[in-house]
Amino acid sequence: MSGDEGFSRRDLFRRLGARGKEVARARLEPVIPVRPVAPAKNIEPRTRHRVVPLHRPPGALDEEAFLAACTKCGDCASACPHGAIVPAPARFGPAGLTPTIIPMASACQMCPDTPCITSCEPRALRIEQPLRMAEARIQPWACLAHQGTFCSVCVERCPVPGAMELVDGKPIIDASICTGCGVCQYVCPAPENAILLMPLTARPTASPSS
Amino acid sequence: MNQQRAQQASPFESDRRNFLKLTAMAAATSVASSTAFGSSAFGETAFGADSTDATEAGASDVRWDKAPCRFCGTGCHVQVGVREGKVVAIAGDPLAEVNKGLLCMKGYHVGLALYGKDRLTQPLLRVDGELQPISWERAIQIAAEKIHAAPERFAFYGSGQWTIPEGYAAQKFMKGGLGNNHIDPNARLCMASAVTGFIATYGVDEPAGCYDDLDQCDVLITWGNNPAEMHPVLYSRVVDRRSRGETVEIIDISTRRTRTTEHAQRHLVFRPHSDLAIANGIAHLLIANGNYDEEFVNKHCAFRAPSDPPTLPGRPISFDEYKGFVAEYTPEHVEKISGVPADEIRYLAALFGRRDVKITSLWCMGMNQHTQGTAINCLVHGIHLLSGHFGRAGDAPTSLTGQPSACGTVREVGTLAHALPGGRVVMNSEHRAQSEQIWNVPAGRISPMPGFHTVAMWDSFCTPLADGGKLDTLWVQVTNPGQTLPNLHKLFNRKEGLEDKFLIVSEVYPTATTALADLVFPSAMWVEKNGMFGNSERRTQQWFKQVEPPGDARDDVWQTIAVAHRLHELGVPGMKDKDGRFLFREEDSGGKEVPIWEWEHYYDLNVDERLFEEYRKFTRLKHKDLAPYSEYVKTRGLRWPVVQSDAGEWRETRFRFVEEQDPYVAKGKGIDFYHSPTHDGRAQVWFSPYVDPPESPDEAYPFWLCTGRVIEHWHTGTMTRRIPQLDRAMPRAYVELHRADAEALGVTSGDVVVIESRRGRIELPAWIDGRGQPPRGSVFVPFFDESKLINEVTLDAYDPFSKQPDYKKCAVSVRKLVKP
Repeated sequence: MSGDEGFSRRDLFRRLGARGKEVARARLEPVIPVRPVAPAKNIEPRTRHRVVPLHRPPGALDEEAFLAACTKCGDCASACPHGAIVPAPARFGPAGLTPTIIPMASACQMCPDTPCITSCEPRALRIEQPLRMAEARIQPWACLAHQGTFCSVCVERCPVPGAMELVDGKPIIDASICTGCGVCQYVCPAPENAILLMPLTARPTASPSS
Repeated sequence: MNQQRAQQASPFESDRRNFLKLTAMAAATSVASSTAFGSSAFGETAFGADSTDATEAGASDVRWDKAPCRFCGTGCHVQVGVREGKVVAIAGDPLAEVNKGLLCMKGYHVGLALYGKDRLTQPLLRVDGELQPISWERAIQIAAEKIHAAPERFAFYGSGQWTIPEGYAAQKFMKGGLGNNHIDPNARLCMASAVTGFIATYGVDEPAGCYDDLDQCDVLITWGNNPAEMHPVLYSRVVDRRSRGETVEIIDISTRRTRTTEHAQRHLVFRPHSDLAIANGIAHLLIANGNYDEEFVNKHCAFRAPSDPPTLPGRPISFDEYKGFVAEYTPEHVEKISGVPADEIRYLAALFGRRDVKITSLWCMGMNQHTQGTAINCLVHGIHLLSGHFGRAGDAPTSLTGQPSACGTVREVGTLAHALPGGRVVMNSEHRAQSEQIWNVPAGRISPMPGFHTVAMWDSFCTPLADGGKLDTLWVQVTNPGQTLPNLHKLFNRKEGLEDKFLIVSEVYPTATTALADLVFPSAMWVEKNGMFGNSERRTQQWFKQVEPPGDARDDVWQTIAVAHRLHELGVPGMKDKDGRFLFREEDSGGKEVPIWEWEHYYDLNVDERLFEEYRKFTRLKHKDLAPYSEYVKTRGLRWPVVQSDAGEWRETRFRFVEEQDPYVAKGKGIDFYHSPTHDGRAQVWFSPYVDPPESPDEAYPFWLCTGRVIEHWHTGTMTRRIPQLDRAMPRAYVELHRADAEALGVTSGDVVVIESRRGRIELPAWIDGRGQPPRGSVFVPFFDESKLINEVTLDAYDPFSKQPDYKKCAVSVRKLVKP
């Protein structure tokens, strides 16, 4: 989703530092309008509950550890050859400007050489972490194949071998293999997108020794 | 952010789900509110700040009306939702018999085809190499002057996407006006061999059966056909029966494994072109085993074989001669030619030999885009006739069309170089006289000489006049020959730089064809105009204009009439009828002429209805009777012949030539082929030998190349590639390779390979074990991608009778691209 504005991702992050909100809003809001949510009142802020469920790049530490480690440098975004990693909106508080993936704009393609992880100096992304980012679910009421017409796009384009297969012409996700990269959601041609993606926030943290 | 959407949507998720459930009841799957991302037309009802409210509140101010889908020849009906002058929603039409509320991937998005960002909205003229905006006045004047300068060097290239009135207006303009038969459609590239097959067999075009056969058959045979991708709703109709506990055996006879194969019990992979041997092998066994339908054959069939020199009617032969001809095609001999195991041929023959199963055959481009297309069409009809698998619901040889009105417009209105409306031909003096009488033009106006068929037309247009080219001005409507013609370098690209050639293109988007156009007319499309289509099962459909076309885009019928009127003003005698009046004269109820050539007055009356009512007079001769326009307004299409009962009701026909179904079969006849080529009520069972294809793989070009479509894109993708959801689902062309071939070439999925023939080369990413799997030695490339023109590689050899080129087989070399 970047590259067409004429400046590099790294520049973007730098400019974000300076201009913050405006840039983030300008880039993200026209893409997917989000219903404004009134700030919660009378709720005691508890960190665990206030974690914004962002779709992180593969290999991310547990969300709290990730937020503690990530320096918002933008190196992972620059390293991503598919332009899939973008800064989260600044209004997300502590999570603002941290790297996230918006699969409907550009999904993670599960590069075998994981350039995003390799580029992460503060090791907020680690190769020894599971690559799982989200849980993907097919919503049968929206899926063309499940509704009786023919479609096999998600299965064909899924970059993770074995994560999806066609059973009687209908796509099925193997949750034990699926990484939640979001390619299926990106390519889904159903009138209502049939893929529900739920980002994982509770991810195992790699042991300190690794 | 996306997950944000999912999370934040959760409070009203259940509302949306309930809404969808409700809609789902009315229409198997419905709703076109959109994916959230990047859709323009449906953005208003997308997820977003107030999506639930929008859906609910929006329902009341959306006006719904019916229309057939714009895309393929299946002929599904959709409900089009319009709000504030814009198509905002599409739903499957539950009242439509064809699709019963279901749509395919493309159909759900058909509304978005109108709203690509680069719609052509004003006439363009090429000046100093660049297309520059001009006025309609000037555009019409230029076109008329070009035609006026040399009417005999003008040709019209049309389409199976022409509405019936569009094709009829062009037909009348050319043959009844200019006396020029150089009018041919893209359907020549698509179903011409099906036409010659029907005519050679039954003496009259178009299938006897209909889609109801798909609900009744015990066995479905797909001959070189991939309906799971090309006619998904029809294939769903068959596969769905299994979920209701019915059994239907599907046998896929093809040259590669496809999505269709996945639902088939048997898959016979044959060497390209050898389907002729398979059909002959079945016929041989039916006779050798004595289980052909002797009674049916004695009562209803005669036998034919190719004549010398070859003619479409061929020569009559006896049953014994026929038996002798097919005797050569023993299962083992067929196996040798086709690669299909002899036992599979025996299985098929045994199946056809059974009277207790009902067999429907389906085919489309695999059998039509074939240099022996007429022959293989005839042979498949022949097997059905020989075995009596004909005339009962579920027993039918049925060809499908790829375009929404290949039947309604091209085949019925006859927009072919040799045809006149209603199954007439220009070579027949009676047919000419009948047409001249209905058109009220002087006797002798219509030329008895067939014009140029498609390949010849483009070859001639791309040849300088000095070198023998016979055409200098060509008008293209509703099609994209710059991408679809075979052997593009020869038949299209050569036009570039030829100063004495003038290409006029009526289009809705910039295409490979407008890239070489000298004059571009921006057209209204689909529900931006009134229209009528005729689908694969003889069903004539009607719709009304529902939204305004963008900018200065205007109806194709109007364009034709406006040019005709300008020629009339220039004094071209052909634009007058016998009484000296304008060829397309229309009067209001008071008898006053309405200037329909002026855009402001074009919709003063329903020009479609007027043209259709005039055309209807042509349809009785071949018993393709159509109902009045008003009947089509009321229905989701009617299958001809549509005949009025004594009670005044208009009744459609599901099965032709069958007593009690077809009103033209007399009581007691059972089955009557009343247009029999032999005039004795008999259909012709043909023998045609297997012959080698014009080009086969050799040492230099060792692979077969097959081309075709994919489910996401319709034809050249000019509409579907502008629909974000479909473009994302299938963004670019690819080449399918067998895994073993890929390994031998050192290629893995995604690697770029070079495909090269004697005519051209192309670079494409490889896709191994993807959607389709060709056998070893074969590759498949889809043709939708404008940036990867596979037709620069294909062969322009064509069937001797139908003149339809063969896009399904030529010889190519395949190698991995080595980057310097």
